[in-house]
Amino acid sequence: MHLILMRAILKSFSVVLLCLAGLSTQAAHTQASLILAAESAKPGDTVLAGVRLRIDHGWHTYWRNPGASGMPTKIEWQLPTGVSAGATEWPAPQKLPEEDLTTYVYTDDIVLLVPLKLAPDLKPGMLELKAKVSWLECKTLCVPGRADIEAGLTIAVETKPSKDAPLLESWLKKLPRKGNTISPRAWWEKPAISNLRPLLIEWTAPKEATPVDFFPDGYDHFEVRPNAQRVPASAGKICLRVEVKKFEGDWPKEISGLLIQNPGGQQLAYEASLSIQPFGPALTASCSSETPTGPVLATPSLLKMFFNAFIGGLILNVMPCVLPVIALKILGFVGQAKDEPRRVRQLGLIYTLGVLLSFLILAALVIGVKATGHRAGWGMQFGNPQFLVVLVVVVTLVALNLFGLFEVNLSANVMDAAGSLASRHGAPGAFFNGVLATVLATPCTAPFLGIALGFAFTQVSGMIVLMFMVMGLGLAAPYLLLSWYPACLKFLPKPGAWTERFKVAMGFPMLATAIWLFSLITLYYGSRSWWLGIFLVILSLAAWVYGQFVQRSRTYRRFGLITALVVLVVGYLYALEGQLDWRLPGVETKAEGLHQSVPDGIAWQRWSPDAVASARAQGRPVFVDFTADWCLTCQVNNRIAIDIPSVRAKLKAIDAASLLGDYTRLPDDITTELNRYGRAGVPLVLVFPKDPEKPPIVLPELLTSRIVLTALEQAGR
Amino acid sequence: MKNALITLFAFTFVGTALAVAEIGKPAPDFTATDIHGKAIKLSDYKGKIVVLESYNLDCPFCHNHYSTGAMQALQKDLTSNGVIFLVVNSVSASHPSHRTTDAARKEWADQKMNATAWIDDSSGKLGHKYGMRTTPQMFVIDTAGMLVYQGAIDDRPSPSGDPRTAHNYVRTTIQQLQAGEKVTVSQTKPYGCSVKYDS
Repeated sequence: MHLILMRAILKSFSVVLLCLAGLSTQAAHTQASLILAAESAKPGDTVLAGVRLRIDHGWHTYWRNPGASGMPTKIEWQLPTGVSAGATEWPAPQKLPEEDLTTYVYTDDIVLLVPLKLAPDLKPGMLELKAKVSWLECKTLCVPGRADIEAGLTIAVETKPSKDAPLLESWLKKLPRKGNTISPRAWWEKPAISNLRPLLIEWTAPKEATPVDFFPDGYDHFEVRPNAQRVPASAGKICLRVEVKKFEGDWPKEISGLLIQNPGGQQLAYEASLSIQPFGPALTASCSSETPTGPVLATPSLLKMFFNAFIGGLILNVMPCVLPVIALKILGFVGQAKDEPRRVRQLGLIYTLGVLLSFLILAALVIGVKATGHRAGWGMQFGNPQFLVVLVVVVTLVALNLFGLFEVNLSANVMDAAGSLASRHGAPGAFFNGVLATVLATPCTAPFLGIALGFAFTQVSGMIVLMFMVMGLGLAAPYLLLSWYPACLKFLPKPGAWTERFKVAMGFPMLATAIWLFSLITLYYGSRSWWLGIFLVILSLAAWVYGQFVQRSRTYRRFGLITALVVLVVGYLYALEGQLDWRLPGVETKAEGLHQSVPDGIAWQRWSPDAVASARAQGRPVFVDFTADWCLTCQVNNRIAIDIPSVRAKLKAIDAASLLGDYTRLPDDITTELNRYGRAGVPLVLVFPKDPEKPPIVLPELLTSRIVLTALEQAGR
Repeated sequence: MKNALITLFAFTFVGTALAVAEIGKPAPDFTATDIHGKAIKLSDYKGKIVVLESYNLDCPFCHNHYSTGAMQALQKDLTSNGVIFLVVNSVSASHPSHRTTDAARKEWADQKMNATAWIDDSSGKLGHKYGMRTTPQMFVIDTAGMLVYQGAIDDRPSPSGDPRTAHNYVRTTIQQLQAGEKVTVSQTKPYGCSVKYDS
């Protein structure tokens, strides 16, 4: 082996010597030379150049994607000013199943074609065109090859073809054809199984063209396995299934390579650059994969979307913002278990109706807002301060009710106090439970829901309604199921003194919810917000007076009612109307420039499209975090995967610009940006690579430090 | 009962047959002999980080890592840090690049290799078990015996130049493991020459 290497090294030396002499040169088993289609050319012309590799028999060099091993041939041009080289055109390679490691190779004689563009202002005379070529040649052993090649071109008043012109012409004819003539398309056949995912590629075949194949391009983060399978297709079409293996990051959105067919034993190749669709063109797909194709609504991925929406709705049940309401519902069950099953079933349906109606209103809102040109985003009602104030008041009242400060169900027919509606056990209680669950659930965009919503927001109105309905069903499902099969109810504990204690205990998470909502309010009312706190205290006082003297005592009933009303009205007029001025939230703008969430944290710059563009123009990677104070997922992401030491260090190391887009008040420019990436709401984290030509990396909704660091690593390259 | 046993047996069998290295899963155990006659068993190294390098000095990519001294430096840095570094040569005995035990011992000395051991895997058993495709291809197994990295040694697929200018995935992985952090890049596309298995 040392001998072979020595020989390679000696040959390389001779290469250098020969180069100096300006001749075509030779490495171990491959001779490289530069040939031109013209002897002389006019300024402004494009001259076809060829890098010819004559390879000893039995040896091979590699295509632009070498496959499982090997290295593509590299051409580094050294051209005089006024001459520029275009992209290298690669003839179709041969597929070499070497052991089980497939490679794409060239044998014997190959010409890589490169168009050379001459500037219109070139002076007449002789030009020396040079390039350094390096390759890997293999037989049983692999040897790196390297050569300096050159050719002369005369700039003159007329173009004169060279003796190599016919050879170049013949190679030009052999180049893969443009793929758009055979209308290729690609889509994922199925969801991924760990890091493997089947992809279907379909194209129009002019005639019966077996065998067929796909030679993929090479990628860093995934690869297409060489085991393409023919799948039955309708007449005039060819369909292939290939397996994509992912190493890191997201599934690719685009894929390119050569579509190969061999009509009459003659290989025909087509260059195809395919954007991968998330699912097949339902009605017109010609590939018959194992998944049955039905009407549009039944396409697997649409079903998957519905499934996601349903699961998302289901998950909303255990979200911290909804859990207290669930507790109320459990209490309801315990109370109703003794009732007749028909009644329980009816209440279950009414609850579902409450949820569905609320979701319908949300859907209508989205459609309406979308129609008026405003971009809609999930959780948008949380950007409305008046809504928040009302919600805080309602939630506080529910908490007080749970604490037993007052009770509305003592007098079963009273239907006023809005906050206690939810704790009532009759039909309105069930209905209001549904509404409340929906209202509270919206900011907890569970990961599943995000995808489904992103999809729904880009759909027609009917689709939006359908999607929201499915989500509502998910939210209502557990309750509905229990009420329909009351047998399950017997697993619930018997009512007793504990329910009272449990009820009081559940008041605390409710109170916590109120505090969280309160923290959002401070964003709108600033230092005035504490007046809302004062009002809540006055409200509590009124509630206590009402509970103590109107409901539980017989002596001071009238006095109690008047006192409670006076306290409430005075409190409202003074605190809410007078001091807080709740109907006119004063929007304080956050300081523009720098903004740090924790000391030593990431020094955020305010996001704007211009900020992104200017940082990219400086050749810096850009890290963008779209967040909102009401978005719990965003806060969690920030705490565990964004504003952490390793990410800060990485941002510094790659000199990234960190931009924060605050979506708390739903600014239009951010809504537009979110929609561009198919998201209906925050979180959205983007990483723009250093190379301004490259598209941004869109991170998933739930982040880990690993996901962020990998993306930054990639962006900094 | 009988059917249940058969099913169970079938599962066990399939389970062992498919014991191929996978990221995040326990690295398949192996026993092998090194060129100095020492028996090597992966499970004996539990509690230590283990690195596997698929090796063939005749491959220009591997050769470049050794001729520049970059690989020896990596081996030294890691082994002096308590890491087990195993060089795996799976080149078939019928291939011209195969090394007899004597030739291997000489190469070990000539190249001043600083690895823990050189495993003779001319049967390709170990190579196939780990799905080794190219030389050099690297594998990192954590102290709990989990496979945490597999793929290229660095982000510079070239048979010439100084590998030390590249980002070395193995170094990063081990730094992260030793710092108790999560491994950020667990899989890359391996580059280099094919392994030259017995066909």
